[in-house]
Amino acid sequence: MSTDTSVHCIVVTPERTELDAQCEALKLPMYDGELGILPGRAPMVGRLGFGLLKLQSATGEQAWYVDGGFVQVTRDGVYVLTNRLLKPEQIDRKSAEEELQKATAMVANTPQTRSVRERALAQARGKLRISS
Amino acid sequence: MANIRQLDKRRKSVRNIRKITRTMELIATARFKKAMDRAAAATDYTKRITQIVQDLANSGTSVSHPLLLAHDTVKAVDILVLTANRGLCGGYNGSLVRVAAQRRSEIQEQADAGQTSVSGKRGISAFRYAGIPIEKTYTQFDDQPSFDEVAKIADELIYRFVSGQVDRVDVAYTRFISSSKQVPVVETLLPFAGLDVSSNTATQGTATQSTDQEKKVRDDYEFLPNASAILQEVVPASFRARLFKCFLDAAVSEQIARMVAMKSATENAGDIIKGLSRTYNRARQSKITQEIMEIIGGVEALG
Repeated sequence: MSTDTSVHCIVVTPERTELDAQCEALKLPMYDGELGILPGRAPMVGRLGFGLLKLQSATGEQAWYVDGGFVQVTRDGVYVLTNRLLKPEQIDRKSAEEELQKATAMVANTPQTRSVRERALAQARGKLRISS
Repeated sequence: MANIRQLDKRRKSVRNIRKITRTMELIATARFKKAMDRAAAATDYTKRITQIVQDLANSGTSVSHPLLLAHDTVKAVDILVLTANRGLCGGYNGSLVRVAAQRRSEIQEQADAGQTSVSGKRGISAFRYAGIPIEKTYTQFDDQPSFDEVAKIADELIYRFVSGQVDRVDVAYTRFISSSKQVPVVETLLPFAGLDVSSNTATQGTATQSTDQEKKVRDDYEFLPNASAILQEVVPASFRARLFKCFLDAAVSEQIARMVAMKSATENAGDIIKGLSRTYNRARQSKITQEIMEIIGGVEALG
């Protein structure tokens, strides 16, 4: 962590660095639920799910939709690696429902294809949760 | 004299062409800078991914994933060719198509199945002309390929690979080495070899010699849920980033190729204009001389 009172949060997508901000605390959407990060968190690497990343700062709370990926907590900051970072308003309920249908219809007859299907399902459900 | 008017006409048309090529050069320069910035912005992600893979390897996790495993028999090989949508960029498309078609015929000798996918109108028409069947075509990639679009292709390739429909995936693109050197290459993307852990740790060893203490801290990572589950996600993410990098490289190289081609076209047009002007002036002068001679001849005849 950069200082004892704030967390340096950096969100990187394959296209560019989307967000580089200081905050008091942040909540991450992990694969199995939310995880809070406070200043001074021990180093960690974790898998992210599909949900909201919440940044708490003096001005209030800000939220973004995170499309899976990883988080790496190091001494100098929290690095969030995700495919996409969207504002919750940008998520369309209709297209999320369509995605869920498509994912449900996927054929999964081997362990590999099953994991692909599960991922698609989790992604669609995560989007649907936020859009509602 | 009709010749003079013709020369003037030609000179005018060459001038117009020069205007166009110069504008195209300027546009290509601007696009190249944008594409270059995007490519530079994308390196952050790759760096971070590499970092996580290193941390995983340092924690003693054995790196294994279906995408990393070569299939026992290679029956089906996919090839993806990344060309441009537009021409007027010198040998960019031509040399890439040549390399790709050569690899494709090599593949056909070894394997009996596999898809050929082409991105870019130029490549599509070149393959059609050569009579090579194409399974999938993409024309939505321009100077700024979006990750979402690339990820779709990547996910499809991953699916095909893990489900055993394809045993190897090659991609032909123009690799950007420096702004003065780009080479058309064919790389094997799956089985994925982008996670070269041993070499990564070797480079890390030299880089962090001075910061030994920092390295010790880095070793104590907590993995949620566990190291191997993270690896399951890191490998596909890394593959997607790798494929995206190919698209970005191709886009940057295309703009450079166009820039160079248009620059030489502009210069060439300048040379042609110079030559035409000289011939034009000479013809005009000789016409004037001839007219004077005729007048003098007429005056003399009168006198």
